Amino acid sequence: MAAPRGCYFGKLLDVDLSSGKITTKTLDEKICHDYLGGIGLGAYLLYKELPAKTEPLSPQNMLCVLTGPLNGTACPACRLNVSFKSPLTGIYGHTQVGGPMGNELKWSGWDGIIFRGKAPRPVYLHVHDDKVELRDAGKLWGKDSYVTDEMLKEELQDLDIKTLVIGPAGENGVLFSAMIVDRFRAAARSGGGAVMGSKNLKAIAVHGTKAVPVLNIEAFNNAAEHACEAARTQEAWDGIKRMGTAVLIENANYNSGTLVTKNYQTSWFPDVGRIGAEEAYRTFWKRNVSCPNCPVHCMKVGVLRNTSFDGLVAEGPEYETGTLFGSNLAVSDFDFMMKAVEYCDAMGMDTISAGVVCGYAMELVERGLLNVERDLDGIELRWGNGEAVLKALEAIAFCKGRAGALLGMGTRRMGEKIGGDAPRYAMQVKGQEMAAHEPRGFKGRGVSYAMGPRGGCHHEGNNPQGQALWTMIGSAVMCTFVGGVPFNKAKINPQVVCDMLNAGAGWNWTPDTYWTTAKRLITLQRCFNIREAGISRKDDRLPDRFKEPLPEGPKKGETFSEEDTRKMQDEYYAYYGWDADGIPTAETLQKFGLDYAIADVVKKK
Amino acid sequence: MSNTDDTQKERLSRRGFLKNSGLLAVALPVVGTLGPARESPAAESPKTPAQVGMKYLFAERGACTGCRACEYACSQYHEKGVTRPAKARIHVRRYKGIVDVPIICWHCEDAPCVKACPTSPQAIRKNKDTNIIEFIDDKTCLGAKCNKCMEACPAQFLRRNPDTGWPLFCDLCDGDPQCVKACAKVAEGELAPALITKKSGGGVNLAYRDVTPDEAAESLIQNFYFPNNEGDRR
Repeated sequence: MAAPRGCYFGKLLDVDLSSGKITTKTLDEKICHDYLGGIGLGAYLLYKELPAKTEPLSPQNMLCVLTGPLNGTACPACRLNVSFKSPLTGIYGHTQVGGPMGNELKWSGWDGIIFRGKAPRPVYLHVHDDKVELRDAGKLWGKDSYVTDEMLKEELQDLDIKTLVIGPAGENGVLFSAMIVDRFRAAARSGGGAVMGSKNLKAIAVHGTKAVPVLNIEAFNNAAEHACEAARTQEAWDGIKRMGTAVLIENANYNSGTLVTKNYQTSWFPDVGRIGAEEAYRTFWKRNVSCPNCPVHCMKVGVLRNTSFDGLVAEGPEYETGTLFGSNLAVSDFDFMMKAVEYCDAMGMDTISAGVVCGYAMELVERGLLNVERDLDGIELRWGNGEAVLKALEAIAFCKGRAGALLGMGTRRMGEKIGGDAPRYAMQVKGQEMAAHEPRGFKGRGVSYAMGPRGGCHHEGNNPQGQALWTMIGSAVMCTFVGGVPFNKAKINPQVVCDMLNAGAGWNWTPDTYWTTAKRLITLQRCFNIREAGISRKDDRLPDRFKEPLPEGPKKGETFSEEDTRKMQDEYYAYYGWDADGIPTAETLQKFGLDYAIADVVKKK
Repeated sequence: MSNTDDTQKERLSRRGFLKNSGLLAVALPVVGTLGPARESPAAESPKTPAQVGMKYLFAERGACTGCRACEYACSQYHEKGVTRPAKARIHVRRYKGIVDVPIICWHCEDAPCVKACPTSPQAIRKNKDTNIIEFIDDKTCLGAKCNKCMEACPAQFLRRNPDTGWPLFCDLCDGDPQCVKACAKVAEGELAPALITKKSGGGVNLAYRDVTPDEAAESLIQNFYFPNNEGDRR
């Protein structure tokens, strides 16, 4: 047992909400070295401390709000990771969020916060360096994410606190609810908001004034400058600097054939000009907004004028939000699309899942599997009906009526409940709704959706090594735009991250260590998923829809065939040293130092 | 009368104009001539007139993206490479998630902070050669017991050093402000930088500094988003 020498404070806040007792949990250097932080450390904590088969919305579930070794340093790594057992998927849930919260938490002198239990009444946690207290959140309960943030700043008389809050959706247990930072940034995937809500925890407000310990400052700052430089000069980000990720919307329609349209039925949306970056640039965006120390400034904030939502200030559209509330629902009205995006942010919902759920319902209505009057309380969810989408979102956020109850459970449970042919059209993997990249147009995304440890997510990496890279980004809690640059590995490669860790924490990492650690972390997440839900080869696949050829668009005729799936799985299992069923072998587990998982995993064979 | 009309009035009034001038990058002579007519401390003729050749710092509030690279650079310069924005002199605050206000020292000719320092001899002084406020004496400064300089700063720039309790002053990094360099680096290629260093205040620094961060945020929201009658949200 040794305390980490640099990059970590070596302590976590351990908050038992049931008793209100707050303790300090020390972090061993070896744990930091082997599991890094963020996704990896979260997986380790959950595997070790969460009893197997815990009900995700029960008080026993843990909510681990974690930073990484590079947060708050000269390295442009500012994100925050939240790990928990997901109520949406039943497997490992982790989600990252940009904005200032990750750094602020690190600067307060804590590497993370673990929440356990359930508070008897709504509370929020206030952290000001070493001063930590649970405070009553009775007045905040029911308020949307933006108002909550403002009220916290007023109550604590501190304009510089940063907050992580849930909105009404999280309080009401919507299974894809999000945690919101800075009004528009969402830790959205996997339903962390519902876990937070189930613990009666409304918000975390943090103000930190410390500095992250760094062993060799000069060497560290040089390596960090290299990382900054890579992000600054990366030509691939030029479009994103100018128009955010929305720049991909037109590209996906005209070039890559990946624009998700009408619940993944096609990838061609003729009205793309009315929802894309060009429209937003011309009529909507006013400002660039940036995360701490990031040169990419990908957030664009704008305001709607002269529409039914006059004066609506919103962030986006980003690629996922614009596509899933635009082309995926065949909505070609920019105003409705932005209103839906803003509403999800305000209510604290995952825009990806919410968009896919609405698209799913629209397809089921079209196919006669859902009845508007009987099942949806008269909400006319039909292609292109933006007004109905807003009504549906309101029903979901507040669990109103049959529509709210049905749509709020996510596509997998909806399909099971409706029965018949319905599960065929649910665009999810392992219960997680897929993001807005059509896997037939770009098969790498198929790998990300099918093989990713948290289910159908676009942030998992497009091939076996890509998944290793992205897991490391999420464990160092950097942003892909800064830390990964997966399109040009020569620019910032494992060596730069190793340089930073070696200088900062006094380790002795080589790119080999980097890839071994990555494989350890992916394998550990797999072990957790096997232990909790018996995940195996049968689950690592896309919905059957993708076996049919794309009907339109630049990639017309492409499929994601059974053969593609088999090849993808074989390649993946071989890379990580898992057996043909997708279960890590005992040798692999020993090699990665995961001996403690052997008993849970290998016996299931 | 609706809020929108009030807003229009406000926007047309001189004070509104001066506030909103925070958005105008090159309006130095115009605002400069307006300066003397104002009924504010800045309107009194400064005791130490500006000297040509001294350094000033400017922040174009409308151009800031809130990336805080300036805070990082500032703390690294002053803290021997350590990244610690809590100790940075410059400070960027995001309001309502939609506008960012850089809070800087405007290096006022009349230096209200120096005037307000109650100790004898004073713990701070204006250096006439370098144009910075120098923190002379940590024995004389009353530290956390006294708030006089911080209260006197019209731009609400001064903050306490979280370790010692003494106020943090901008020293223009010995004539080569690191925040300006950092800002230019981040902005390069796509944006206009928010931070600029000039050899003359031109009086415009006094116009800028009389706008508190809260007021600046309000006027930025007005200018960018023109809220409707229900407020700034929807």
